[in-house]
Amino acid sequence: MLRLLTAALVFAAAPAFADHKGKSADHHRTHEHQSDSTSAQSDVAVAADPKILAAVAAGGELIIVDVLGVVCDFCSTAMNKTFMKREEVAASAVDLDTKTLSLALKPGETLDDKTIRKLVVKAGYKAAGIRRGEEALKAIEPPQADETQGDA
Amino acid sequence: MARTLCAVVSLCLGSSASAFAASPISYDGGVTLIEETDRESTSLGVHLTVDPRLAVGLRSEWDRHNDALLSGVRVTGLVHRWHGRNYQANIYASFDTGVAHGVGENVARAEPFVGGVISADWETRRWFLSYMAHAYEAGDVGSTVAQMGRIGFAPYVADTGALHTWLMVEIDHRPDNPDEIGVTPLVRFFKDDALLELGWSVTDDRPLANLMYRF
Repeated sequence: MLRLLTAALVFAAAPAFADHKGKSADHHRTHEHQSDSTSAQSDVAVAADPKILAAVAAGGELIIVDVLGVVCDFCSTAMNKTFMKREEVAASAVDLDTKTLSLALKPGETLDDKTIRKLVVKAGYKAAGIRRGEEALKAIEPPQADETQGDA
Repeated sequence: MARTLCAVVSLCLGSSASAFAASPISYDGGVTLIEETDRESTSLGVHLTVDPRLAVGLRSEWDRHNDALLSGVRVTGLVHRWHGRNYQANIYASFDTGVAHGVGENVARAEPFVGGVISADWETRRWFLSYMAHAYEAGDVGSTVAQMGRIGFAPYVADTGALHTWLMVEIDHRPDNPDEIGVTPLVRFFKDDALLELGWSVTDDRPLANLMYRF
């Protein structure tokens, strides 16, 4: 019984060590190496989602949200469904590698930081940073040649 | 002593089968369908997330060990969530209440029951750890206590929308069972809104089949 209780305490204490254990798990992509996995913003390029690219090409604002705690597809679904309920949002995509939520707004629409942070919390997560404008555009991975042709 | 302690922990802090499905909480307004079958019970539940920290659901469980059928309401709260850049960790507590009655060789008539679950998990995209303790008390119909833990490993890290595969081992402790300690290796498949787990208890040759779908 004592051993079982000890095991339970170890499980309960695991989160304290989690960040260190998880660092190596997310480096499988062959992009630039992340300089600091504890920082909110990744140096790795955000995957270019075709829906996002199309909405931005149509004149919508691009917003990149750095999100903490995103580890699985349930996380992606939760955020996409939460944001796609908003009329301002044309496209939403989550990149698990960079832990980012990419939003493309409809042309002429805006969504303030406070609302974005609130929606991320409604999805069950926490926003660590929000990038807009040039900073957001620079974060996006250049589309592959075939994607460029497809969007043209 | 073990039984009493486990029951007190479960009922004070927060009934269910396996260690995976104590988290019906999804996004605000989300609905989660959960089916669980392990070496002792089978259950089916549907849960509505009314707040990012609270889900309310209807659930029915067939406890094959006690020949008991329990149907009622489950309220699950997210006690705490740790958000890390590369991990997520959670503590959940659930409270169950409803009506239980005997089935098969259990001739007990309908009785109210109360139950509870406390669970904790930590996961990255490569590793998974979880612990759960649960118990219910249903008068003459029966009662149970159990605790279980899991460790899991993803042999590859899948991208968003791809098929995620996990290899896991579940160890459970059920004081009422002749085989108190059970070992169940399992494989978890995870894609988009669906999660499927298939395993086999090597302790008493019984299947494990869990399904979760988020609408």
